[in-house]
Amino acid sequence: MTTVIMRTTARAVVPIIFVVAASLFIEGHNLPGGGFIAGVLTTTAFAIIYLTFGLDFLERAVLGRDVDPGKEPARDRVVVAYHRLFAFGLTVAVGSGLVPLLFGRPFLTQTFVELEGVPIYHHLEIASALAFDFGVYCVVVGGLLTILSVVGAE
Amino acid sequence: MDPELPIVLLAVGLPFAVAGVTPLLFRALGERTGYAGSVVALVCFGLLGSQYGSEGTVELEWIPSLAVALRFHVDGWALLFALLASGIGTLIFLYSPAYMHDESGLARFYAALLAFMGSIIGVALAADLISIFLFWELTSLCSFVLIGHYTEEDESQYAARMAMLVTVGGGLFLLVGFLLLSLVAGDVVGPASAFDLAAMLERPDELQTALRERGLFVPVLGLVAVGAGAKSAQVPLHFWLPNAMAAPTPVSAFLHSATMVKVGVYFVGRVRPMLVSLEWLLLFATVGLVTMTVCALLAVAATDIKELLAYSTASHLGLMIAGFGFTTVLGAETGVFHLLNHALFKAALFLVAGIVAHETGTRRIADLGGLRHDLPFTAAITAVVALSMAGIPPFSGFYSKELLFEAALEASHVYDIGVLGWLYPAVAVFASVFTVVYSLRFLALFVGDRPAGYSHVHRPSLTLLVPPALLALLTAVISVDPELAVRAIVQSGVDATAVDTHEMHVGIPTSYSPAVGMSAVAIAGGILAFPVYGTLHDGIRAIPRTAPPVGANWWYDAVVGNLTGSGRWLATRVHNGLLRTYATWTLATTCALTLAGFAATATVVPAELIGLDADPAIALVLAVAVVAGLAVVLASTHVAGVLTLSILGFMVAIFYILASAPDLALTQLVVETLVLVIFLLVIEEIPEYYEVGLGKVARDGVLSLAVGATAFVTVLVTTDARPDGTTEIARYYTERAVPEGGGTNVVNVILVDFRGFDTLGELVVVALAAISILTLIIMRSGGAGGDEE
Repeated sequence: MTTVIMRTTARAVVPIIFVVAASLFIEGHNLPGGGFIAGVLTTTAFAIIYLTFGLDFLERAVLGRDVDPGKEPARDRVVVAYHRLFAFGLTVAVGSGLVPLLFGRPFLTQTFVELEGVPIYHHLEIASALAFDFGVYCVVVGGLLTILSVVGAE
Repeated sequence: MDPELPIVLLAVGLPFAVAGVTPLLFRALGERTGYAGSVVALVCFGLLGSQYGSEGTVELEWIPSLAVALRFHVDGWALLFALLASGIGTLIFLYSPAYMHDESGLARFYAALLAFMGSIIGVALAADLISIFLFWELTSLCSFVLIGHYTEEDESQYAARMAMLVTVGGGLFLLVGFLLLSLVAGDVVGPASAFDLAAMLERPDELQTALRERGLFVPVLGLVAVGAGAKSAQVPLHFWLPNAMAAPTPVSAFLHSATMVKVGVYFVGRVRPMLVSLEWLLLFATVGLVTMTVCALLAVAATDIKELLAYSTASHLGLMIAGFGFTTVLGAETGVFHLLNHALFKAALFLVAGIVAHETGTRRIADLGGLRHDLPFTAAITAVVALSMAGIPPFSGFYSKELLFEAALEASHVYDIGVLGWLYPAVAVFASVFTVVYSLRFLALFVGDRPAGYSHVHRPSLTLLVPPALLALLTAVISVDPELAVRAIVQSGVDATAVDTHEMHVGIPTSYSPAVGMSAVAIAGGILAFPVYGTLHDGIRAIPRTAPPVGANWWYDAVVGNLTGSGRWLATRVHNGLLRTYATWTLATTCALTLAGFAATATVVPAELIGLDADPAIALVLAVAVVAGLAVVLASTHVAGVLTLSILGFMVAIFYILASAPDLALTQLVVETLVLVIFLLVIEEIPEYYEVGLGKVARDGVLSLAVGATAFVTVLVTTDARPDGTTEIARYYTERAVPEGGGTNVVNVILVDFRGFDTLGELVVVALAAISILTLIIMRSGGAGGDEE
C-alpha cells in the first residue's frame, strides 16, 4: 500500500493524529477523551505508519538502526520497547494507586488541586487521576502496538 | 473448663507444618523420618490430652464478612476421635520405618501421612461447616496420595482414583447439605453464626423444626447421609474401601481402622442430636445393617488377608452407623463404644496382617496357616484382637455388639416401624454370625499346620511388634474392665451424641435377656458355620461371577468407563483443534443458555418497545447501518466485506453521538478505525475464496440467525429493565463528579476516580493479551525452528 497518495496523506495525517491524541488525553477529565481513547488513537497513527512505510520503517528510517532480517519479530528493539512500555504503564497505574496508602487512604483513592494565577492558563486543575490515566495510556499503546507489530510481522 | 485456642490450633496445625518441612527432614534423617512423625503425633496426642475434660468452642477469625471462621469445638466425642487419630498415628509412624524399609518416595509418604493425620484431627475438632468441609476434603486428597503410593502400579492408581472419586464426590453432596443447613440455621441462630455447627447443636430441636418448616429436613438428611456414607463405605458405595488396600499396610491400618473411613461415622454421631427422627432411624439403621451384612458376607468371600480385614471394616462401620441410626440412647452408646473398640482391634489386626505379609511374603489366606510356631507373639496379639472383633465375651467387641442388639430391640418401642421392629434385630444377628466366621478364619492363620507354600518365616523386628502389642493391650484392658473406658471417655462421647443424658453401664450379663440370647445365637451360629467355611466362601464368590451387576465394582467400572468413552467422543467433536468448531460450539451454547434463561424466568419482550418511534436522524443512520449489514453478507470479496462492515460500525458511532454519548462514540470511531486497519493487514494472507458445502452454509446460517436473535432479544429485554429517569446511582455519580473527582466528564471520572479498580483490571487484561500473543508467537517460531533443525 505504499502508493504516493498514501505516503503524502500519511505525512500530513499522522502528526495531526498525535496532536489530537495528546489533547484527548489531557482534556479527558473534563471533555470526551481519556487515556484509553488517546491510547487507541496513538496506536492508529502507528498503524498508518506501518501500513504506509512497512514494519521496519521505524527502526531503519526514524531511529537509524540496521534491521537484522533473520531475527524473530518479537525480538525487534521496537517491539521490546513496546512491551517495556506496557509494563511501565502497568507500574505507573499500580504505583499511582499505592501512593494514597502512604496517606492512610484506600488503594486507588484520587484527589485534585486547583492552581490559580498560573501564567497563560490562569486557572489550572491538576488531578491525581491523570497519573493513573497516563498508566492506562501507556498500557493501551504498548499492548496494542505489541500485538499489531508481532501479528503484522507474520 | 474451656479449651485453649493456642493448644487446639497447635494440635491441628503441627502435623501440617511438619508435613511441609518433611522433605528437609527426610534429607537429614532418612528412613528415621517415621520416628520424627511419631514424635509429632505424640505431641498432638499430648496437646489434645491436656484438653481432656474441657468443653466449649474456640475460634479464629477467617472470613468475617461471610461469617466463616476457623472454629473448633472440644467435647468428649471430638476428643475421643482426635485422640484415636493421633494415638494410633503415633503407633503407625513407629511401625512404618521397619515396614517401609528400602522403599522409594518415603518423603512424600510421610508428608502425606502427617497431613492426613492433621486433617483427621481437624475434622474431629472443627465446628464450622466450611472448616469441616475443608478438612473433610483434605482427608480425601491425602488418602488419594497415600492409596496411590505405588505410583507405578495400575492397581494402585485404579484404587486411588476410585477412592478419590467416591469420597470427594460424596463430599460435594455434603457441601450442598451444609449450604442448605446454613440457610436455615441463619434464621435460627442468627446470620452471624450461619455456619456455626456448635451453635446449631445447642438448639437442636428448634433447628429441626425450622428445617421441617422449610421442607428441607429430608434433603439435608439425605445429602449428609450420602456424604457420610461415601466416606464410611456404606452400601452401595462400599466398594472403594477394599480396593484401598492397594495402599502400603501402615496406611491401610490408619485409613481403615482409626481414621478416614470413620470420619463419616463420626460426623453422623456429631449431627445426631440435631437430625434424629423417624426418617433418621429408617435411613441409617437400614443402610448400616445392610452394609454390616453385605460386607460381612464379602469378608467371608475374601481371599487376601487385607481384603478380609477391609470388608470387615466396612461391615463394622455399618454396625456403628446402624447404632447411631437407632434413636434411643443405646444407639449412641453402641456407636461411640464400638468406634473406640473397633479402632483399637482393627488397627492391631492390620498391623498383624502387615507383619504376616512382610515376614512370609504372601497375603493369600489359602497359603497361610500354623503361623503360631514362627510368630508366637503375633499369634497372642491376634488372639485378643480377633476375638474382640468376633464379639466373643469377655472381649471388648462383645460389649458394643451387645449394645447394638439391645438398641435394635428397643427401636420399635420409640417409633411404630411395623415389621422392621423384628427385622432389624434379626438382620443384626445374621450379620454377626458371619462376623464370627471371618474372625475365626483370620485367627486360623495361626493355628493348624504349616502349608508348604512358603520357605522361611522371619522374626518381626521390635518396632513392628510393639505397636500392635500396645493396641492389643488396650483392647485387653477394656475387655477386663469396660467400665474404665466408659468412665474415661465413652460416657462423655455419648453425652455429645445422644439426645437425652443417660448413665451408661456395660459388663458381662449375669441374667438372661433377649440381647444375651441374640449374642448366644450369633456366636453359636458362627462356630457351627466355621467348619463349612470353604463352602460358604465358594458360594458367596460364585454370586458376582454369575451375575456381575450384583457387585458394586461392576457398576463403578461401567459408569466410569462410559463417562470416559463419552468424554472422549465429546472431545473429538468439540475440541478438534479447528477455530471454527470452537466458535460454533461456544456461540451455540451461549445462545442456548441465554434463551433458556429467558424462557425459564418467563421473560417476555415488552410490546411497547417494538415499533417505529425514533428521531428521523437516528432512523436514517440506523437504516444506513441495516443496508451496510446486508451489504456485508452480499460482499463478493473480503476487502469489500471489511469496508462495508466498518460502514456499519461508523453508523453505530454516529448513533451514539445522536444519543448523546460522545465518549462512547469517540471510542467506537477510534476502535473501528484500528480494527479496519488490522483487518486489512490480515486479509492479504487469507485465500480469496473458499469451497464450502451446502450443509455447512446451512449450519452457519442457522447459527448466525440464532446469535442475531439472541442479541436482539437480549437488547430488547435489558433496555426494558431501564429505570425511569435518573436513578440514585446515576445521580450519585453526576453530583459527586465535580466536587470529588474534579472533572466534568462523568464517564471518565467514573473510570479513573470512582471505579479505578475496574479500569486497573482491564489494563491487566490488555497487558495479558499482549504477553500471550508474544508468548504464543515466540513458542510457535521456536517450535518451527526446532523442526527445521
